[in-house]
Amino acid sequence: MTDLLYWLQGPVPETEPPTAEMPPWGETKVVGKPVPRVDAYERVSGSAVYPLDFALPDMLHAAILRSPHAHARVKAIDTSAAEKMPGVRAILTAFSPGADVPWYRSRGRFYSKLFDERVRHEGDEVAAVAAETRAQAFDALKAIRVEYEEFAFVLDPRESLAPDAPLVHDGGNRYGEPARYERGDLAAGFAAADAVVEATYSTACEIHAPMEVHGSVAKWDGNRLTIWDSTQGVFVVQQMVAGALKLPLANVRVIGHYMGGGFGSKLEAGKYTVIAALLAKTTARPVKLFLTREEVFLNAGNRPANTMKVKIGAKKDGALTAIEFSSIGSGGAYPNGADTSFLATDLYTCPNVAAVDENVAINAGRARAMRAPGFPQGAWALEQAMDELALKLGMDPVALRLANVPKVSQRRGNLPYTSTGLAECLRDGAKAFGWETTRAAKKDDGPIRKGYGVAAGMWGYGGGPPARVVVKLFADGSVNVNAGAADIGTGTKTVMAQTVAEELGVPLEKIRIEHADTGTTQYSGPSGGSKTVPSDMPAARAAAVEVRTKLLAGAAEELKVPAAELKLEGADVVSTKDPAKKLAVTEVPALQRNQVIVGVGTRGPNVEGKVISMFAAHFAEVEVNVRTGEVSVTKLVAAQDSARVMNRLTFECQVQGGLVMGLGLGRTEERVLDRQTGKMVNANWHDYKIPTALDVPVAQEVLSAELVDTECNTAGAKGVGEPATIPTAAAIANAVRDAVGLRVHDSPITPPKLAALLAAAGKKG
Amino acid sequence: MLPSFRYVRPRTVSEAVKALAAEGARAHAGGTDLLGCLRDGVFDAKSVVSLSGLDDLKGISPTKDGGLKIGALTTLAEVARHPGIAKGWPALAQGAAAAASPQLRNQGTLGGNLCQRPRCWYFRGDFDCARKGGEICYAVEGENTYHAIFGGSGCFIVHPSDTASPLVALRATVKVVGPKGARSLPVEKLFVLPAVDHTRETILAPGEVLTEVLLPPPLEGAKGLYRKVRSRGAWDFALGGVALALSVKDGKVASAGVVLSGVAPTPWRVPEVEKLLVGKALDAKLAAEAAELAVKGAEPMSGNDYKVPLVKGAVEEALLALA
Repeated sequence: MTDLLYWLQGPVPETEPPTAEMPPWGETKVVGKPVPRVDAYERVSGSAVYPLDFALPDMLHAAILRSPHAHARVKAIDTSAAEKMPGVRAILTAFSPGADVPWYRSRGRFYSKLFDERVRHEGDEVAAVAAETRAQAFDALKAIRVEYEEFAFVLDPRESLAPDAPLVHDGGNRYGEPARYERGDLAAGFAAADAVVEATYSTACEIHAPMEVHGSVAKWDGNRLTIWDSTQGVFVVQQMVAGALKLPLANVRVIGHYMGGGFGSKLEAGKYTVIAALLAKTTARPVKLFLTREEVFLNAGNRPANTMKVKIGAKKDGALTAIEFSSIGSGGAYPNGADTSFLATDLYTCPNVAAVDENVAINAGRARAMRAPGFPQGAWALEQAMDELALKLGMDPVALRLANVPKVSQRRGNLPYTSTGLAECLRDGAKAFGWETTRAAKKDDGPIRKGYGVAAGMWGYGGGPPARVVVKLFADGSVNVNAGAADIGTGTKTVMAQTVAEELGVPLEKIRIEHADTGTTQYSGPSGGSKTVPSDMPAARAAAVEVRTKLLAGAAEELKVPAAELKLEGADVVSTKDPAKKLAVTEVPALQRNQVIVGVGTRGPNVEGKVISMFAAHFAEVEVNVRTGEVSVTKLVAAQDSARVMNRLTFECQVQGGLVMGLGLGRTEERVLDRQTGKMVNANWHDYKIPTALDVPVAQEVLSAELVDTECNTAGAKGVGEPATIPTAAAIANAVRDAVGLRVHDSPITPPKLAALLAAAGKKG
Repeated sequence: MLPSFRYVRPRTVSEAVKALAAEGARAHAGGTDLLGCLRDGVFDAKSVVSLSGLDDLKGISPTKDGGLKIGALTTLAEVARHPGIAKGWPALAQGAAAAASPQLRNQGTLGGNLCQRPRCWYFRGDFDCARKGGEICYAVEGENTYHAIFGGSGCFIVHPSDTASPLVALRATVKVVGPKGARSLPVEKLFVLPAVDHTRETILAPGEVLTEVLLPPPLEGAKGLYRKVRSRGAWDFALGGVALALSVKDGKVASAGVVLSGVAPTPWRVPEVEKLLVGKALDAKLAAEAAELAVKGAEPMSGNDYKVPLVKGAVEEALLALA
């Protein structure tokens, strides 16, 4: 299992050198253009087969029985009645042969099993059924009798370490020692400050809620297993399933061509994947196991709730002197990341910093990485604190941030960035938003108050090896690109086709991407951490360059000129010196003879002595009804520094999606656990409130700083998926503060919270 | 997963009444609430009686006295976009438009909207709560952000309908047909407070079906609106709201219907406010006074005292909008 934030902390693996010399792109012909998705037709016409659509002849359907209790022990299970029900073909429990599979590994130990007799949150797996139809499987679940011994539970991370708190795991409720970071002299820093602000902020637990629920289809051929999975990374699923079932990697083929969203919740194999495989083995039939929507809410990950205390000091001119940050969060009933301090230690220049992250166990669903794990929470706290500091200093919030833009990454050995666009994002965003003019014209009267807020953010990972791509040029000039990365809806396939087209001059219609299949495609890490463009596009480019090199060498032989003299122009190889010397690509003898030219590209190592990070500044305009506490986000501007934009359309879509998700954190989304039972009361689309179209402002602008970064990688692009959602919620919170003079410290900012605060403050229209 | 049930589709109201009188029978109008409840196991059904074949229950037509008859199977979307309703009974048109989402309004019916089950997350979830025959109301000690500040006892649901409050404010009546024949009653009398019976929301007896809603003719100088406050822009029930149906003559309020939504287990009429308004000119001072009076006697729970200022604000804003 991958530990969270592996992309921040993990060592860069040894890797082979890049396979081709690739100078930075200058002006590009295809890359960067607003090209529609290469699979747009399939996606919108319904012909794209998502894993949830997948069906095989003779396939059984499975369902999982889950604990209704937050914390209990399974004393007895009686499946006898269920076994006799129509259509039921197999039932798995902890006692079934082969089901004793350890699960939830972290720091070298397993915290649970596929079916654990001790259930630690509502939704923990207890048994599973395979039946001829899905309805029969669910009917059978109801007939399984389970006797539980209920235990006391703990739901709030802040109560998890109390001496009398129920233990989620024997041995204590801490997932490891608190992570501490320090630099400089904190006390001296605060002593030198002209202004200090201090407050506690918290974010509610969010659910990823992807459109496609989680699940797998499993099919055996002898001792070889094929899995169709809704996943962000087929190779991760392959590794986890092979490990769980003690199979060679080569015997496990995982296919994930289309998938309906994951946002970090599909970076691992689910228990459902292994359960499907075990049921398929038992019944010798293919088995399809997809979660219900309620199960996704309970048991397919979340962004943990965090409580964060921030203290910041600054000089009169805005120069920060000290930052103290502490965070407590919970990976849930089983370990996962809950740290939030990174931004506080690295976004702004500050000599004296101390941070601590505490990650504890609670009796609620386990977290999974959720779009920039830890960062939107950290931004919620840090960027509201910066806003308070600006107020206290009497400084413009944009100016305060500009006064502290770092040139190096202080958290990472004071190494310089390959490119840093924080200042550009703040300046360009402020200009596009009309920051100064709108703020100057603001009126503080009437029942509807307008407010304006800004927040910044960064994402500290720029991809890296390993990634490998194979490009095949066929005899008719068409191209096949073979790459292992999943396209999680971000446009990976499209951008990869553009990358190859840029080097080979082949029209996009003649390029086909074969991807996300451990049996037939090249290795790539899971699509997470905003790393797919910066990791896989350099490999795709290298593969295409190798094909071109071979093609030109073949043409050079035929045309009897040096290869260096030749270039690709449309469908022809042409001499740069004598345009009469040309040859159609399809007539190059080397291609004709072999019917194919193959190029293999790998992602080279990252640049030494430098750090790759993406930056962003978001601006929000809100309207608050002071009578009712209603908040309307009326305008959002996102200025992003991701260096090269690979495709203007997919870039804008990503950023708009990030804004909406950030708006969900700031305005509407919140997992609610019942304090009496530990059960989630809003595990459905209605009560868990994703923003609707009416909550998202029509006025949205997406800007790119468009910095030229020749060092981050050979595509010159840093990735955008996560930085696009990091500062949004904090910008909205700051805008609300600007509108009504009150700060909501705890996300989401709902009418209930704001109405209560406004009433307490005696605010009236 | 839906449970197994018998499905019947009667052709006449009397057939429907007979089918609905059977034990475990559930009426299916638009089905937007029924199917969800069945799938989630909120309650069971031995038979589902589809009302879709009852054409007499569809459509909107004027009555002889200048009022309007709305068949119970008329969709919320039809009510919301009907020009006559928007003009003569604006609170109802706005209430229908404020409900749910466009898809649900196209499918959901006015009758179903009045008879829908509560949205309390304990009632809907895997909790053996009082309304489902259990011992306790979990909201009392639990997560009660969205629960009642008026009229709760033993159960603290809020009534989910956005059309019920406007209809009570408009003094509308409903026609109910059952095994013993037909009867008419004010919409206000359709609903049941938990103190009377905390396991049901309407007085409908087994076999009874709501067939039509009757709007009285608009009064001279009629004005009205429905103001709903919610957490998100669509597909959300009221945190609090108010339906106003006023008539103004010679600059003074001649009659007033003021009914809160989202605050009580039934649409919550505030007669004191109605009395206060009548005979006076509607101005900022009166609006503020009325808003204050509207929340008098509220009994917030641990997590919903925000509803007091929220509703007060909504009432004040709504009255000022009609001033």
